[in-house]
Amino acid sequence: MERTETRGRVSRRTVVKGMAAGAIAMPVLLRGSGAWAQDVTGTVRLSGGTSSPDEEKLLREVLADFQQKFPKITVKYEPVPANYLIKIQTDIAAGNAADVFYVQSEYAQDFMSRGVLLDIDDYMSKDNVKASDYYPGLISAFVWQGKTYGIPKDWSPLGQTYDTTAFSDAGVKAPTTWDELRSVLTTLKQKSGKPALVLDAQFERFIMFLLQAGGNVTNKDASKLTLDQPEVLTALDYYYGLYKDKLSTTSADAGAGWPGDAFAKNLAEDVMEGNWMFPFLKTNAPDKKFACAELPAGPAGKGTPAFTVSYSIFKGSKVADAAWVLVRFLTGPEGMAKWTSLGLAMPSRPDLMDNWVKEYPIRKPFADSGSYATPAQFGPGGQKFISDADSILQSLFAGQVDTKEAQAQLVTVGNQDITLVPATAPTGGVPSGATPAATPGT
Amino acid sequence: MALAARTHRSRNPIAAEDRIAGWMFLLPALVIFAVFIIGPILYVFWLSFHQWSVITPEKPWVGLQNYRKLFSGNRDFEIALRNTVWFAIGVVPTQTILGLLLAVLANRKIKGKTFFRTAFYFPSISSSVVISIIFLWLYAQNGLLNAVLHRIGLPTPTPPWISNPRGVIEMALGSFGIHHISLWLAGPSVALLSIMMMNVWTTMGTMMVVFLAGLQDIPPDVYEAAALDGATRTRQFIDITVPLLRPVIFFVLTLGIIGTFQVFDQIFVMTSGGPAKTTTTLAYLVYQEGFGNFSMGYASAIAVVLFFMILIIFLIQRRIVANQEPM
Repeated sequence: MERTETRGRVSRRTVVKGMAAGAIAMPVLLRGSGAWAQDVTGTVRLSGGTSSPDEEKLLREVLADFQQKFPKITVKYEPVPANYLIKIQTDIAAGNAADVFYVQSEYAQDFMSRGVLLDIDDYMSKDNVKASDYYPGLISAFVWQGKTYGIPKDWSPLGQTYDTTAFSDAGVKAPTTWDELRSVLTTLKQKSGKPALVLDAQFERFIMFLLQAGGNVTNKDASKLTLDQPEVLTALDYYYGLYKDKLSTTSADAGAGWPGDAFAKNLAEDVMEGNWMFPFLKTNAPDKKFACAELPAGPAGKGTPAFTVSYSIFKGSKVADAAWVLVRFLTGPEGMAKWTSLGLAMPSRPDLMDNWVKEYPIRKPFADSGSYATPAQFGPGGQKFISDADSILQSLFAGQVDTKEAQAQLVTVGNQDITLVPATAPTGGVPSGATPAATPGT
Repeated sequence: MALAARTHRSRNPIAAEDRIAGWMFLLPALVIFAVFIIGPILYVFWLSFHQWSVITPEKPWVGLQNYRKLFSGNRDFEIALRNTVWFAIGVVPTQTILGLLLAVLANRKIKGKTFFRTAFYFPSISSSVVISIIFLWLYAQNGLLNAVLHRIGLPTPTPPWISNPRGVIEMALGSFGIHHISLWLAGPSVALLSIMMMNVWTTMGTMMVVFLAGLQDIPPDVYEAAALDGATRTRQFIDITVPLLRPVIFFVLTLGIIGTFQVFDQIFVMTSGGPAKTTTTLAYLVYQEGFGNFSMGYASAIAVVLFFMILIIFLIQRRIVANQEPM
């Protein structure tokens, strides 16, 4: 029943986009595709990082469902509890990589540009899987020079999670703009005497302010570095200003491992983290009263990074057909609905978001940010850039450099680390965040 | 004479058989050594002249490009070199002196000697990951160290210990109004200093055990004779213990320097090279470049440079100690 409903919505959207022919042909194609998949045989190895035993257990359940539907394919699941990137790199180097594995948006371009992953466009059209089935800001992270190399399995934006007791005691509401954030934090601090927001010196937190200021690391097609633009300084001034004026503090200063930990220990009243916070809170602070809100909007409006991970197929896989059948199931309506039911992350398919929000109503603001989220992806070499930028922001917070100098250093490491894509190269696909995603719900 | 002995031996059939047997006994260990130690080392040398992203099979020859990148004012390399040098300067003498003092104390006929020996040696045989995690708690903002400092009214660093990128010399000079000093003169950061202190604590036990063995090799009659001549305890220590321990001291210093140049696990667990790269050591940089930045060739070049640095320091040290050897 859920499936038919889903199909209906997908075709409605495709009709809107003026692709009526495709929409009419689709049900037929879908039936056909199911047939070919049933005949595929093989043993598929699947590898991915896991953050908790619960996560691993749930994926095993999803895989059991798959096994039941496709008995001719055997799946061997190889979870990696830590240092996943290292593990997958050495596996690839040894020619022993799993057939299907996770690829995080941050280093996806390094993998795609080096030809490690299988281009799945043919499979997608064969089974009528459309890029538009997924939030454009997510699937575009796995498109390189017009070809698709992975399908986002789930995602998370950054959003505010705040202590409802502390907020109502101080008589404040969740801030919706930069100015409001400052005034809310000031009020909260007057009440408690300590900074209410815990926010670390980390590039992948700073990026939200940069997006809200209207900037980014590169332009849309990653052909030009935009770190020298004035928006970067605006964002740095605001971000560091909160810390300098003691309206925010870092986890280390607060005495916590990370902002979510600070929130659980009542050392923070407001944090800007992702979906990974909630299972942690459930275990570590089950009685905590909290609510969520979208990130405050900056001078250029709302903005949040989208952290996403794909299921990609190893180019050297000898069972590519079976691997695709698995990927399609895991990223299809049924597999993804079950996978995201744990609440670790949100579905990357807009058509599943309604049901997900029904299950996790408190996180509706997170789901709403799907319409403007920009992938956390900064060009090939982005992984190294993030670590260099972290170190610059740490110097900034330690008072060793000012915001102007920090910007200059960001430009230097940006130039050094990021391999820009020549502007003439066909980028294809949906440019990052260019088209607003289909807003979940109606 | 050596040559004569060798020819003589090779003609002796029984000795030849013994030799073959000897090699056979050694073979398993040799194979393992060749495959897992010699092989990878040679491979690193080979890789350092190539470009390799790890995830692609192609490894194009790039000649000296990786080395040129290293020595053409590469900031990351310079920072890592600085951190490693400060680490060695801070840790090696401290752990050697403390190890020697502990050994001398533990060598006395005092009550509970075995207990102290065990207690001091214990950190050395514990897992460095476990120790690192315990020290993460000790060094936290609300950790034990800060609690003790608060109690006795001493200031604590902000940001807390292992999150503080400020150089200790820089901070000291800053209180005299001197700012903006060079990368090298800023000294180890508070974060690096924290790891250095932990490292001294864990390794001084090992050094103590080595010194203890050395101390027990010194014949007691030397001390007796000195005592008869009226030498004080301190005098005995300076003029008998230290000179007779010279080979052991050399061994401990060499071990210490090699150890500090290779420090990795504590960094990996505690700081990941941060804050602001002030705990990125050369060994950690090798790892970061190789696995975090898809440049295994460049990482190998750093490893080769690190190898030669350790080799040169070792040779210099050996020369110094050999020259001072008593007749």
